[in-house]
Amino acid sequence: MPPLPAAGSERIEMSRKYVRVAVDAMGGDLAPAEPVKAAVEALEKKKSLHVTLVGQEEVIRAELAKYKYPEDRLEILDAREIIEMSEPPVNAIRKKKDSSIVRGLKLVKEGTCDAFVTAGSTGATLAGGQLLVGRIRGIERPPLAPLMPTAKGPVLLVDCGANMDARPSQLVQFAQMGSIYMKNMTGVENPRVALVNVGAEEEKGNALVKEVYPLLKECEGINFIGNIEARDIPAGEADVVVCDAFVGNVILKLYEGLASTLIHKIKDALMSTLRSKLGALMIKPALKGMLKEFDITSYGGAPMLGLRGLVVKTHGNSEAVEIRNAIEQCILFKKKDINGQFIEKMGLEQPKKADEKETASSEKDASGNTAASEN
Amino acid sequence: MDMEFKKLCSIIVDVLGVDESDIDMDTTFIDDLGADSLDVAQIIMGIEEEFDVTVDSDVASNVTTVGQALELIKNAIGE
Repeated sequence: MPPLPAAGSERIEMSRKYVRVAVDAMGGDLAPAEPVKAAVEALEKKKSLHVTLVGQEEVIRAELAKYKYPEDRLEILDAREIIEMSEPPVNAIRKKKDSSIVRGLKLVKEGTCDAFVTAGSTGATLAGGQLLVGRIRGIERPPLAPLMPTAKGPVLLVDCGANMDARPSQLVQFAQMGSIYMKNMTGVENPRVALVNVGAEEEKGNALVKEVYPLLKECEGINFIGNIEARDIPAGEADVVVCDAFVGNVILKLYEGLASTLIHKIKDALMSTLRSKLGALMIKPALKGMLKEFDITSYGGAPMLGLRGLVVKTHGNSEAVEIRNAIEQCILFKKKDINGQFIEKMGLEQPKKADEKETASSEKDASGNTAASEN
Repeated sequence: MDMEFKKLCSIIVDVLGVDESDIDMDTTFIDDLGADSLDVAQIIMGIEEEFDVTVDSDVASNVTTVGQALELIKNAIGE
């Protein structure tokens, strides 16, 4: 039998000792090989990490047999079902309760794990993140926020997949969360926040962005620099780019598609004649260095911001390196207490925990008794 | 107020962050409470967990008011 995730006092002890990340071993085109490899590599690199691999146990064990790994920091949670990419997300989450995505998300919901990383169905992950893990109270909608490479370092695109028809107040929260995330995760001081629009002027755009612009201008705690046109994003003119998921997804896909096409075209051109091949040989080191700067696998995955835990989605065709970086991203997210910062800096009122209520009530009783005895 | 209605209100308040006093049997999730389809799905999942019942997806997709959700609960628990 595989060891099961810890409960009770053992869980609290593990929580203090490790950052606990659940990894979907069945999610993505290259599962289970790449997620399992990623987990083993991450455990080797990070001693404060504990991983729960979620998926079909015998399949995971067969993959694990290829590696040496610290057995005390790796568990398997058997989950028999797999959510396919083509399945309607909400139905899949409701019906496939024994799937790796549902079981993994529930580990976060129960507090057994701090984060869940998956390369599986984006729709099911987004729906499940909200339905199973749940939002931090006060967060209207959790956006999906990937880092993208630019000429001046990474830019955070919020939202690129979760909220197709966002409201103005939601975009303001995206800006706030994006700003906090960017500062803590990449070290950018006072991140420049921009609103995606079809022009730089305040009066331009559709109804949504026209309504959001003044709200962002008035929003405290963010460095709003105004509108940004899509062409200025790759140049690195902002650190956090805010938009609804429809616009964000178009930007992301165009970005990825254009980059891939350009690289292929450059390669074709370099290999077309003897002269160009010689030239390619000369520029190869410089080209490699430049391409490394644009390597998205080093950024890990896209987090869903504003959940009561962390859910990270990596590309469907993720190799181990991207998933490993996503796992490491979870460690930093917890250490920086990003969710705590959302609550504090965005002024989100949280319900009192049971023990806090008890303390408050006993304090009230104590003061009541004192008053009574004085009377 | 019966126990099922009270529990349902608690689920709705938790998911939507609305005031309990805004909820009555005729309240619609989308128009009155500002919910979207994902919110309604979350409320249905909350019902399944709270009452330990399974709600059919087709039935769930027809729920638009609090009264309908309560009826769904009562049917599911066999009242």
